[in-house]
Amino acid sequence: MWNQLEIRQRYEQRIQVCMLALVCLLLLLFGRMVQLQWVQYQQHFTQAEDNRIHVSPILPTRGVMFDRHGLGLAVNKISYQVTFIPERSSDVQASLQALQALMSWSDYKLKQMVKRISQARSDRAVLLMDKLPWSVVAPLASRLHHFAGVDVVASTHRSYPYAALTSHMVGYLSLVRQEDIQKGYLRTEYVGRSGLERILEARLHGKLGYKHEEVNAKGRRVAVLKTVQPNMGESIHLSVDVKIQAVAAAALGERTGAVVVMDVHTGEVLTLLSQPGYDSNKFITGLETEQWNTWLNDEERPLLNRTTQAAYPPASTMKMVTSFAGLAHGLSLASGSTQCPGYIELADRKIRCWKKRGHGKVDLHDALVHSCDVYFYEMGDALGMKRLTAEANRWGFGEKTGINLPPEARGILPADKPKSGRKRWYRGETMITAIGQGAVTVTPLQMVRFAAAIANGGKILTPLLEKGEAVQVQRQVDVQAQHLMQVRQGMRDVVAKRTGTAHRALAAAAWTVAGKTGTAQVVKMSEDESRSFSDAKKHQDHAWFMGYAPYDNPQVAIAVFVEHGGHGGSDAAPVARRIVDALAAQEKLP
Amino acid sequence: MMSVFQRMDVVLLLCLACLAALGMATLYAAVHMGEIAVWHKQGMFWLLGILAFLLMCFVPIRVVGLLTWPVYVLTIIALILVPLVGDIQMGARRWLDLGVMRIQPSELMKWVLMFTLAYWFAMREASSLRHLGVAALCTMIPAALIVIQPDLGTALVLLLAAIAMILAAGFPWSWFIGLLIASPFAAYVMWQYMYDYQKTRVLSFLNPELDPLGAGYHVIQSSIAIGSGGIFGKGYLEGSQSRLHFLPEQHTDFIFAVFAEEGGLLATALLFVLYAVLIIRMLMIALHAHSRFAGLICIGVASIFTLYVFVNIGMVSGLLPVVGVPLPFMSYGGSALLTMLVAVGVVMRVAIESTDKVSWQRPGSPLC
Repeated sequence: MWNQLEIRQRYEQRIQVCMLALVCLLLLLFGRMVQLQWVQYQQHFTQAEDNRIHVSPILPTRGVMFDRHGLGLAVNKISYQVTFIPERSSDVQASLQALQALMSWSDYKLKQMVKRISQARSDRAVLLMDKLPWSVVAPLASRLHHFAGVDVVASTHRSYPYAALTSHMVGYLSLVRQEDIQKGYLRTEYVGRSGLERILEARLHGKLGYKHEEVNAKGRRVAVLKTVQPNMGESIHLSVDVKIQAVAAAALGERTGAVVVMDVHTGEVLTLLSQPGYDSNKFITGLETEQWNTWLNDEERPLLNRTTQAAYPPASTMKMVTSFAGLAHGLSLASGSTQCPGYIELADRKIRCWKKRGHGKVDLHDALVHSCDVYFYEMGDALGMKRLTAEANRWGFGEKTGINLPPEARGILPADKPKSGRKRWYRGETMITAIGQGAVTVTPLQMVRFAAAIANGGKILTPLLEKGEAVQVQRQVDVQAQHLMQVRQGMRDVVAKRTGTAHRALAAAAWTVAGKTGTAQVVKMSEDESRSFSDAKKHQDHAWFMGYAPYDNPQVAIAVFVEHGGHGGSDAAPVARRIVDALAAQEKLP
Repeated sequence: MMSVFQRMDVVLLLCLACLAALGMATLYAAVHMGEIAVWHKQGMFWLLGILAFLLMCFVPIRVVGLLTWPVYVLTIIALILVPLVGDIQMGARRWLDLGVMRIQPSELMKWVLMFTLAYWFAMREASSLRHLGVAALCTMIPAALIVIQPDLGTALVLLLAAIAMILAAGFPWSWFIGLLIASPFAAYVMWQYMYDYQKTRVLSFLNPELDPLGAGYHVIQSSIAIGSGGIFGKGYLEGSQSRLHFLPEQHTDFIFAVFAEEGGLLATALLFVLYAVLIIRMLMIALHAHSRFAGLICIGVASIFTLYVFVNIGMVSGLLPVVGVPLPFMSYGGSALLTMLVAVGVVMRVAIESTDKVSWQRPGSPLC
């Protein structure tokens, strides 16, 4: 039958069909290959790279903050971590128990760690302990070969050597929160949360590095393909002089208050002290809720930065504003004099001068030197609230100073008209505003800027926190040199004259100081109510001192504020004395 | 009279040599990061296989014909023994331990069935129900035995190869079209008898994202490997998917992904051309075979190779569900390689005999 033509033909035809089928099937497969390898190449290549490359970040070293002489305010301190790689230990439980004995962990802590390790990958290091000083890890490090899988790794953590002294200015870091992660931070990073750590975050943080590692299908690292080293954050030299700040803090002692020292020409802040402070290191090593609540509920409010965020009645330091206003508007009182009988009569009331016996005949100079209230009551009365507050505003009150340390309080300047809907302020209200009581409040930073402006000829400067930053003159106050000189001389004699309110504290200072004291009443006391010293501290007066030095060649402006501190002359001015002496000891500013 | 070696088909031989070289090189790439012993073993199997191939070149087709029925019966017995005394691997009994070596009767059966059908249709055309009935019986008995192992993939290849054989033997086209219409019904019946893991594989083939870490993971990873090779490939030993073991069973069923990842589209095209030349050459030998039996043998062998290539590459590239079918001369596996080389050896013998002027047939023999 092989030779039958019909069968032979059919056989050959079927073989040809087989060949055709084969070619069709192979073409189908080749089509699929073209689709996978050509058309979808990019997509598949990316997927293969995703499979094999594992990118792990390398955290950058955070920039360091120095004071103006190079002392570290926020530094990175070497500390040690204890890590554990589970697969290197034949018996995890035993290894950890040995560690427990050495590190004196509680049983609960041990349990937690065992649990954490059981959930972790066996070939990756698990962090057991962090931020340990060498003294703690030293006994472990010397016996490391007894602990399979355990390792001691050097690392760094943020540290604030001056802790509470610089806490409000420098601020602190804390571990990332959800919103930071959305901004691109990693889960293990720390972020500036307060103060300059927060404000300068972008510059201090540095740039992440990356390690591209090849991993196999089980996730095990096979090779390091590429390492991009992280860039350390920028190190920043602050304008603050931490030694002077320490002098100020020592002078304040246990008292609550604020001290600001500023260069009168550049606006660089040499001291920005708010007391009480808080130990910012506690945020790094792990802040316990209890500690936080203590700070939060403390009546002294340690978390409040009193230099910028709190405003207080300026008291008699306001008298320079009133003086400038009187001089500028050419009041006859400014060039003349008045009689101070110890009070001023207003309708049926008497508003008292602080000196019951009165100052007798006073002109502008005497009024400043002896801080006569009556003189300024009259001047304020003649000026009116509108002109008074306008003058205060010219000298930088009632507005933010623009220091790069938000949030910042504005303080209060009374509006042109009372809010209550009355057509005008009562005369008494204007009078007490003229001596810095009543509705007006200012921050210590505004106060130091005012002192600097008097010293530098009316330049309102932006307070600067970085050394060598470009000077920013916000405006030049339009004030006649002669008027300026009159006020300056008054301030000089506050110290220089035997009867001046700051004479006792500052006359013997290393530099000639010009300044003004202030004592702000906290509660209005009625005539018959005698002051009881057993009364709570919160009813005591606030003490102010503001001024500049040296008088002939002004360098620094100083503002001292002591909350419930008593009298400006006896309580605030001595703090300024210590600062001036310390500055003079440094001879001159670098 | 030329010697056997002089009469060998050079094209077939060259194809085989090229595939041997490519196969060993690719296997090395697949295992060089792991069990290199596999590569050495495969080298030994190649040497053994070449010996078996040469041996077959000297066995007259007449003798092959005489051995066909006894070998078929023996293989059926072996298949019956498998569920009773076989070794279990991956949940299925497929292997039989003969003491000297372990064999996989289902693997052997594919080839034996081709020879059996060739013998049966040597004197007959597949156009009468009686002739077809015997052929169907010869096919269904081993197919059923393989399905219960269970080894759906091999059974499917067996059935498809048998269908190709029957078609080549003159099965009328009209009947074939009728069967095609009936096949959805058959598929439904098969679905009822499938094991869960088999159903999962079919389902995950239809929608790989359904189970990206289970059965679908294999196909996704091999598609990534193939696709990431691009046109020029990643370079020899540079395939990341294979080097880092993202590919499943990369030295056996999924070796094509290794090859395509490192060689790219150009290399896969070359491989396809090699397979095409190999199989078309077998069919050309069938065309010029000295007897119908010899010709049908060649067609049977060619159709099994075609199915292996198509099912394996189709599976690895995500066109077909995952079934355990080796890629000829590339996948690791001793018995598969040996049987394939024996089969090619028989085809070569057909070529040798057909070029000879001397008649090898006796008149009146069923082998004419």
